[in-house]
Amino acid sequence: MLQGILAAAAIVVISPFTMFINFFYRKEEERELRQKIANIRDLSPGSYIYFSYPQTGDPKVDNDPFRQYVLIMTHDGQLRVYSRVCVHLWCLPAYIPTKGQLICPCHGSIYRESDGVAVDGPAAYQSYPTNALPMGRVEVDNNGDIWMVGVEGRIGYGREWRNVKPEDLVKRV
Amino acid sequence: MSSSARSMRELVNNLWRWTVDRLERTTIVVYKFTVPKQYVSPFGYLGTLTAIVFAILGVSGAFLMFYYRPDVELAYLSVKEIQEKVPFGFIMRNIHYHASNLMVLLAVLHLYYQYFSGRYKIKNEVLWVTGVILGVLTVLEAYTGYNLIMNQRAMLAVNIGMGLTFSAPILGPSVAPIFLGGGLFDLVIRFYALHVFILPLLMLLLAAVHFPRALIMDFPVISAVVGVIFISAGLFPAELGIKFDLTRGIVEVPEWYLTAIYAFLRAGTERFTAGALLPLLFVILFLIVPFVDRSRKLSWKDRPFFTGLGVASIALIAITTVWGFYVDFSKETAFDQLYVEPTLFYSTIGGVTLVSFYATYFYMSRQKRGVRPPPTRPIMLSPKTSTSLMITLLVFIAGAVAATFYTYSINLPNHSMFYLGIAFFLFGLLLHIYRHSLSVEERLKAQKQQQKAEITNQ
Ligand code: HEM
Ligand code: FES
Repeated sequence: MLQGILAAAAIVVISPFTMFINFFYRKEEERELRQKIANIRDLSPGSYIYFSYPQTGDPKVDNDPFRQYVLIMTHDGQLRVYSRVCVHLWCLPAYIPTKGQLICPCHGSIYRESDGVAVDGPAAYQSYPTNALPMGRVEVDNNGDIWMVGVEGRIGYGREWRNVKPEDLVKRV
Repeated sequence: MSSSARSMRELVNNLWRWTVDRLERTTIVVYKFTVPKQYVSPFGYLGTLTAIVFAILGVSGAFLMFYYRPDVELAYLSVKEIQEKVPFGFIMRNIHYHASNLMVLLAVLHLYYQYFSGRYKIKNEVLWVTGVILGVLTVLEAYTGYNLIMNQRAMLAVNIGMGLTFSAPILGPSVAPIFLGGGLFDLVIRFYALHVFILPLLMLLLAAVHFPRALIMDFPVISAVVGVIFISAGLFPAELGIKFDLTRGIVEVPEWYLTAIYAFLRAGTERFTAGALLPLLFVILFLIVPFVDRSRKLSWKDRPFFTGLGVASIALIAITTVWGFYVDFSKETAFDQLYVEPTLFYSTIGGVTLVSFYATYFYMSRQKRGVRPPPTRPIMLSPKTSTSLMITLLVFIAGAVAATFYTYSINLPNHSMFYLGIAFFLFGLLLHIYRHSLSVEERLKAQKQQQKAEITNQ
């Protein structure tokens, strides 16, 4: 009985330390998480902007490949934000407006502009969900300003693209 | 001897005894170091040799930390600086690199010797289990180490490692960011912390449990092992590779102790299965061996089943490793060059493993225990031969060391390492002959005394 109480007390007093797990995850500051990228009036179908997110002002951090994204206005006028890290071996695919595709320079993976799913090259042979680029969650406000507010998927790994439709990641607010 | 010299010697002796006496209070006396007076087979103390190479890694690694920069952009450049600009940096880096290969190799050999000689029995289960875990940590330590260079090859390994962590069921998505942090700029620092502190610390703690109390320090062989590190560094200097570049795809194959896993990945096996589940199963097989093999027999000759299993596991490692290195250069793209046909792959590894198991098992079950061959008569060198051999070796060592200095002065540091390795190897041989001649001397003395005694008896 007494032993049980002691054990319970020990567990209770130690339990706050489980929160320490958060130490291991880098927390991005709130204000950085909602970041303005462009205004919709400056875009036309086939135009695109490379940017980094969440921006910190530290060039070392902002230049990290895992923070590189591309904002695209697709040929049918949709807004899409994709992580630029190829889910094959982490090279940086470039958006080719004439083709409406993202093409990776390393082993030639090709991603559709409409949903970021690989249609050719090594990335296309990878199993679901590791065959699609992660996407940025986007909000467009009344002024037409485009804000990135979060990431869907795991960078350099993939995205569960069957669960969340790409158009659901673009909200008007 | 003059009296002042004698009192000096006494003082030193007293000081030594005084210190040893005080050390009795510390944990250091827990280990009993034995310096063998005669040649003993190195198989018995491969573990000690592994520990010595670990110590060499600790020292050389700590010095590399003076120049290495854990930073995405600078890491590669700093290793390049160590290799090309820092005085003796080339040598320091090559000692570290080749010692790391040797440590993995020695650990594997050590494990198999213990396995085949049945040492995991006789109350050694804890030693065995901690040893297997140490082996896994050694490979992880080497993995984090060679990722520190941040070249193309390192990024391939990081990519594979993160990919399989992400795809681990349930925990994967929350564990991977612990290594990855906010991006590669965090990852390199975290791998650095793991490599230079966390993993070595864990290894040291485990080693404290793993070391048996009696350790054999065989200096001739230790000298030869140091020689091997330098000779292999001289023959195959560590490469820098190409700085990782996110716009270039090239064919890379990981370090030899990881190519086995790479082979599975290239055959299209699911990442977590290939990189973690299968290796884990393999390790668990070894972990539980002492609890399954309950017979009282120790020698491999009396345990055909477990010997067969051991041989099959070696065959499995060998064939998957070879598959991992296989690159078909007749294909055009890097992707096709690295593709491994799964049916061919699985049938060869399955076939080779099964055949080697059954062949060993049946061959050994049929065999009757033969009589041991009579011990060969030990070679006895006369004192004169020993002396002249030692002088010859001394001359060769001096030559090798001269060549070491000369080649270094004309900027051929790898040749220099090779000659120094030869010198260490020969010094090991010299030590061995010295020890041999001491024992011969003793034997001769004993013989003489016996003769004397016989004469006086008559
Ligand atoms: C015990 C303390 C250790 C420290 C402080 C240490 C430190 C370092 C440092 C600073 C580097 C980066 C420099 C470079 O890349 O050349 C490095 C690289 C490396 N380390 Fe260690 N290390 C230790 C132990 C080990 C062990 C036990 C192994 C393997 C069994 C190992 C394997 C490697 C490898 C393979 C590299 C890459 C070598 C290269 O190609 O340059 N290290 N280590
Ligand atoms: S890294 Fe993009 S195709 Fe290989």
